[in-house]
Amino acid sequence: MNPDLSQNLSLLHLVLNASVPVQLVMVLLLGASLMSWWFIFIKMFALKRALRATDRFEREFWGGGDINVMYQQVAAERGEAGEMGRIFEAGFSEFMKLRRQAGMSASFIIDGTRRAMRATYQRELDGLESHLSFLATVGSVSPYVGLFGTVWGIMIAFMGLSSVAQATLAQVAPGIAEALIATAMGLFAAIPAVVGYNRYTHDIDRLANRMESFMEEFSNILQRQTTTTKAA
Amino acid sequence: MNFPADAPFVSRPGSNLIAGALALGVHIAFVLLLVFGVSWQTRHPAPVMVDLWEALPPAPPVAARPSRPSAPAPAPAPVKAPEPVKATPAPRPVVDEPPPPKIPDIVLEKKKAEAERLQKLQAMQLVEEKARADAARAQAEAARKVQEKQLAEQKKRELLRQLEEEDLTRRMADEAVASQARQAKLAEAQAKLADAAAASKRQAEVASVVGQYRDLISAKVRGNTRLPDNLTGNPVVRCLVKLLPTGEVQSVRVTQSSGNAAYDDAVVRAIEKSSPLPLPSARDARAAFVPELTFVHRPKE
Repeated sequence: MNPDLSQNLSLLHLVLNASVPVQLVMVLLLGASLMSWWFIFIKMFALKRALRATDRFEREFWGGGDINVMYQQVAAERGEAGEMGRIFEAGFSEFMKLRRQAGMSASFIIDGTRRAMRATYQRELDGLESHLSFLATVGSVSPYVGLFGTVWGIMIAFMGLSSVAQATLAQVAPGIAEALIATAMGLFAAIPAVVGYNRYTHDIDRLANRMESFMEEFSNILQRQTTTTKAA
Repeated sequence: MNFPADAPFVSRPGSNLIAGALALGVHIAFVLLLVFGVSWQTRHPAPVMVDLWEALPPAPPVAARPSRPSAPAPAPAPVKAPEPVKATPAPRPVVDEPPPPKIPDIVLEKKKAEAERLQKLQAMQLVEEKARADAARAQAEAARKVQEKQLAEQKKRELLRQLEEEDLTRRMADEAVASQARQAKLAEAQAKLADAAAASKRQAEVASVVGQYRDLISAKVRGNTRLPDNLTGNPVVRCLVKLLPTGEVQSVRVTQSSGNAAYDDAVVRAIEKSSPLPLPSARDARAAFVPELTFVHRPKE
């Protein structure tokens, strides 16, 4: 341990002079932090896009337009339609196929439609929820990883102290400072990850609720339509 | 059976690169904040030296201190000295007139060097007087009178100078004090000449030896003194110590208490513990300590 480190404690110095396990922990935590922030931004954009598309679709759907025209539009550009649009597209295409076949009871048609919509719903939900588990892992584990690095660094600092006749704070201080950087990095990685995870799970839950409600409502509409067409 | 038309659509998010760049930006911003926001430099304040004075120093050192800052002032003094040299040509014809007739009066030898010193002294005194009197040069006659008086004084001083061996520079520093001291020393010297020199010398020797041993005893007792905690100030204790010729302490009696009984006891114990006290081997010096010694103790010197 360099004695002049106590005079000149720069962040770079501390990181570069840390022991190898502490440095490994720091690299690990830096990677975790980078990844989690990456996913945070990915999820942020994806959720914003999904929310905007859902709003637009609901506005169009309940705006009184022709369902067939809407279906053509959505089927033409599935990527732009948004999650709810795709659910609608899957359900309505299944409904049309089933209705074209003769001898299908209304409940059978509606059941098939709902299954198709549910399958799409789950696939979309899975897409929305991807990477969230990584945020949860980083949020819960990285403080412990940082703590491990800190404990290791402090252990080494005190082991270095044992070989010195006169123990002074200046001999331990750099070691402890560099070790504490590991904890700081762990917290730096964990806090945004936890916040992002909670925020995005909440947003996805609300979006899923809206989609499920839409599925029920759309099923009702289709069921009404089958019964009226059958009656006619 | 295959249903390519039924293949589900899987959305692929496309803005991964932007997200990655933003993540990097967050980290760089945080690192910059750490590096520039947190002061990682520890600056140690410069040590401050403080002299602790228990009491104000006695007056003479205080008087001496202002004179010492004027120790740089002597630098100006030599600068002034050339000025008198330049200035002397004007008064010199005036000054030189009186000395030549008087040098023959002084029959003593070594006078040439002395005369030069005298002239320097006169020049210095002239400068001082010029500083005091505003129109010094205008009053050349007055100055001449003063010089004559000073010359008369210096005649007396020449006698003194034969006796004493002090350097002249100190006298130049403060002439008035030095002249008084010289007169006093002259008187002393005359007294010494009048007295029997040997007797006085022996007395002085005895006195110095006695003083020396008094210090020794005081130091030994001081080393054995355990001061009580409640001692305040610097109280004096006087003890009458009865000694054997070998220095063994027979008895100690407090003649003047400090007012603090614990402190008195401590001093008495210290004296007893210091037995045998160091005594001079010379008999006449020893007479000051044996059989009775008045011991004065102060906790702090």
